[in-house]
Formats: sequence, C-alpha cells, structure tokens
Amino acid sequence: MSMGDTSLVEWIATSLLVLGALFYLAGTVGLLRFPDVHCRLHALTKADNLGLLLVCAGLGLLACDWQVAALLGTIWLLGLLAATVSAHLIARHACRDHSATSSRTGSA
Amino acid sequence: MRGNRDTSNASRRQRWAWALQIFIVLLLLWIMLNGLAQLWAGLIAALAGAAIGAWLASGQPHPWKPHRLLAFAGFFLWESLKGGIDVAWRAFHPKLPIQPGFTSYRMALPAGQPRTLMVSTVSLLPGTLSADLDDSGEMLEVHGLTPDAMDSVFRLEAWITWLFSLDR
Repeated sequence: MSMGDTSLVEWIATSLLVLGALFYLAGTVGLLRFPDVHCRLHALTKADNLGLLLVCAGLGLLACDWQVAALLGTIWLLGLLAATVSAHLIARHACRDHSATSSRTGSA
Repeated sequence: MRGNRDTSNASRRQRWAWALQIFIVLLLLWIMLNGLAQLWAGLIAALAGAAIGAWLASGQPHPWKPHRLLAFAGFFLWESLKGGIDVAWRAFHPKLPIQPGFTSYRMALPAGQPRTLMVSTVSLLPGTLSADLDDSGEMLEVHGLTPDAMDSVFRLEAWITWLFSLDR
C-alpha cells in the first residue's frame, strides 16, 4: 500500500517538474521569438514564474516536509518579487530610453 | 476633510495593525527558516522588525484583512496560471498571435502598499506588464500583449481595493 502511494506522489511530482521545465522553455522561446523588449519581458516574467511555481510544487511534494514546502513557497514569492521588480525596471528603462532617442531624432 | 483627531486616531490604529501584521509575517518566516528551536530570538527579531517597519515607514499604512489576503492569493494564483499558459501558448504558436500596445491607466488606489502591490502584480497578470510610472505615481503605463488584456487590470484594482478595505 505504501509503495503504491509513494509512486503516485512521485508520478505527480515528476509531472509537475516536467511541466515546470516546459514553461521555462516557453519563456525562453518567447524571449527569442517576440519582437521587442516589452513583449520579451512578458514571456520571461509570466512563463518563468509559472515554471518556478510548478517546480517548487513538485519539489515540495517530493520532500514531504511542511518546513521544506513552506520554504519553497517563500522562494517562489521571492522569485516573483525579483521577476516583477526587474521586469518593471527594464521596461521603464526601455520606455524612457526609447522616448529620449525618438525626441532626439525628432529635433534633429 | 475629516476631523484632525479622528484621522490621527484612525491612523494610529492602522499603524498598530500594520505592526502586528509585519510581526506575524516575520515570525512565520523565522519559524520556516529556523524551526521552533530558539524561538525567543525570533520573537525579539520579529518584534524589532515590526516596530521599525511600522513606525519608521513613511506615509499612511494600509493594513490588509487576513481572510481577504487569502482570497486575493487565490485570485493571484489563478491569474498567474492563466498568464503563464497564455504567454506560453503565444510563444509556441507558429503565427505568434500578439498585438502589443501601450495603455495609460490612472490608478485610483492611494499611494503606499496598495499602489505598490498594484504595480508589482500587474506584470504577473495575463498579457499585461507595468512599463512605466509617472512622477506623481498615479499614471501607470501598461504594456499589453493583446488589446483586451487591460480587463485584468481593472479586476486587479478592484481586488486590491477590497483587500485593503478602501471601498468605503
């Protein structure tokens, strides 16, 4: 009975890990295929965060320990924070840089 | 304009509530990282952090309701799931179905935690990215992957208004 349970949990955890890796792949594909900085940031923030969530969920299931699971949850939140702050800063820089360049070429 | 004493009383109560919330979050973080051993050190650290956070922070604190935070977390989790699937689908699609564009959005939320939470979560919703904020901190430049992506921004603002009980 316990063996059956373990393999089911492992099966679910492995699917989560694979699915998470797939979203990381999607983020990278978006980074390569999307046309400009802002569109690329969409792919990086959203696909990678979902990837991180799924990987953390899979690892938490495998660990079977509330403390590890809570830590993984915190890691996800910190990852979200880092992603959203850096995405905003890069997007803002791209906006301002672009408007500065266009006004310069406009006046020239 | 509200009465001066009234405002200061309300704001003092909010500062205490904010301190309590920081304390609980910090203590939970300590327990997560360190377990229940040496809890006294965690208690002291969390108390100090809460006091510093609540009384040195500038501006008006906006405490959240715990049960509403839980509901908001559910909304956020669901939206980030949709957002990830949406952008992954578009990235893999041979025709690359995106029509990117900028929209200026005036936030009705007050400065401080509500507006910060809004700016930081917009980027994780399906199809939207917070691209720039003007100097007043009210006008948010939102980059959308599709023209209809702005819908989720309206819903997000309604959720945050509800989370911080700003809908009087």
